[in-house]
This record gives sequence, structure tokens and C-alpha cells, in this order.
Amino acid sequence: MNPVVRWFHQLGSPPYFDRFASRWAPWAYVLGLLMMAWGLYGALFVVPADYQQGDSFRILYIHVPSAWMSMAIFALMALYSAIALIWRIKLCEILAMACAPAGAAFTLITLLTGSIWGKPMWGTWWDWDPRLTTELILLFLYLGVIGLYNAIDDRRAAARAAGLLAIVGVALLPVIHYSVTWWNSLHQGQTISLFGKSHMDASMLPPLWWMVAGTHVWFVGSLLSRARADNLRRESGKDWVARLAGATQ
Amino acid sequence: MSYLPYVIAAYCVFAIVLGWDYVAPRLQVRQQLRAAKLRVMRRQDTIPRDLEAPLTRE
Repeated sequence: MNPVVRWFHQLGSPPYFDRFASRWAPWAYVLGLLMMAWGLYGALFVVPADYQQGDSFRILYIHVPSAWMSMAIFALMALYSAIALIWRIKLCEILAMACAPAGAAFTLITLLTGSIWGKPMWGTWWDWDPRLTTELILLFLYLGVIGLYNAIDDRRAAARAAGLLAIVGVALLPVIHYSVTWWNSLHQGQTISLFGKSHMDASMLPPLWWMVAGTHVWFVGSLLSRARADNLRRESGKDWVARLAGATQ
Repeated sequence: MSYLPYVIAAYCVFAIVLGWDYVAPRLQVRQQLRAAKLRVMRRQDTIPRDLEAPLTRE
């Protein structure tokens, strides 16, 4: 059998996944932290202040990567949920549900840092602007998925119900993305593009890309840790968990 | 104009939320392993009594 296919099948085994997650999550956290530390050093100490916004533009280096993560994680959660619903893969249910708290965390960061930036730049902490409002709805969707998953005792039925909500909720993502184009928005339009031309000076971009990469790697650590916790919860009565508990405590 | 307090507040929010994101799953894993260990201990406590029960009935 192809080694990749064999590894994929092995990963479906709860004890194997536990070993895999406990082994690689700390590395992802450390690597993500180092990348973000390098990005933040550039953002705070290397890049000059903006000629109009002054130092407040430095908030962008945490706001933008968090906003991208908030949407990317939701898309990933919906993808895992769809795979779990179609092929009934338990690990995908676990991974989908592990996405929700991490995604909610990045959405919260997006909203709070945007609000903190908005006060000096817009003169208000909050405005019912299309981009802000749709991002707030995204946070509510994340909270809905977390709430629904924890409200049903049967883990598999809970994951199916919450996964369905995630799949339906994915329709919000293009609305968030194009909200600044479709409506008159206080929020600025697209400034930074992954593949096209960015409206930011090139000297200001490298710390942002470090932050984007760092938040992605950090998320891998968070996803593995949260999935490991849920995996242990589901397998709580099994012998391998008892052996592990005896070995680690 | 310096907006330093706003920048510091935003970066504090980022650090606090990511700190929670790091701590929360570790606490859950620890809680699950502790619960598993307690279950094993309870099971070990009950096994001898179960074995003695048929003998006392005889």
C-alpha cells in the first residue's frame, strides 16, 4: 500500500491520532510562535509609521491575519464537516469541531482589534458597517456550532448537527469577503492581495506575511491539541486511554 | 499623533486570546486523563468485591 494512503488510514485510529497530535502539536505551537515573534518584531520595530495613520496602522499586522484565519478556519470546518457527513469519518468530525473554538478566537481578535483601531481612525468603537456586521455574524455562527456540539450528549449526532450548521454557514464567507465591494462601506476595500497587486508599500508587507504564516502554523497546533482533547473525551472508556492516563499521571 | 495606547491594547488582546487558545486544550487533555485515571482506580476498587460476592452467597 502507498505509504501516504497507509498513514491516512492509520491516522483514523484514535490511539494513533493521539500519539500523532501529542507529538506534533508542541512543534507547531513553537514554530508558529517563532514566526509570529519575527513578524511582530518587524511590525513594531522595523516598519516605519504610516504617514496618515501613524502607529495605529501597526494593528493591521494582527488584525488582517486574524481576519483571514477567521474565514479560512470556517471554510476548513465546513469541509471537514462535509467529509464527515458524507463518508462518516469520525476523525473528520473531531477535526471539524476542533476548528470552531480556534476560529472563534481569531474572529474575536479580528473584531476587538478592529474596534480598537476604529476608535482613533473612525472616531467610534463600532459601526453597523457591512464588513463588521458580517464578521460579527461569523462569530455568532462559531458560537452556535460550539453550543450545538456541546448541547447534545451523543457525540456523533452532535457533530453531525453542528457540522450541518457549519456547511450552511459557509455561505456567509463570500458575503464577508465582498461586503466592501457590494455595499457602501466604512471599512476600507481590499488593500492586500495574496496574488495580485497590493496597495501597500512593499517595505511594509514582509512582517504581514510572517504573521499570516505564523497564525496558520499556530492554528495547526491548536487544531491538533483540541482534536486530541475531544478524541480522549470520546474514547474515555477505552483501555488505551486508561493506559495513557496511567502512564502520564 | 501617537496612538501607542491603542496599539498596546490591540496587541494585548491578541496575546490574551492566543494564550487562552494555547491553555484551554491543554487543560481539557489533563482533565480527560485525570478522569480516565480515576475511572481506572474506581474499577480496581470494585473488582475484588465483585469476586468475593459469589462466595459470600454460597
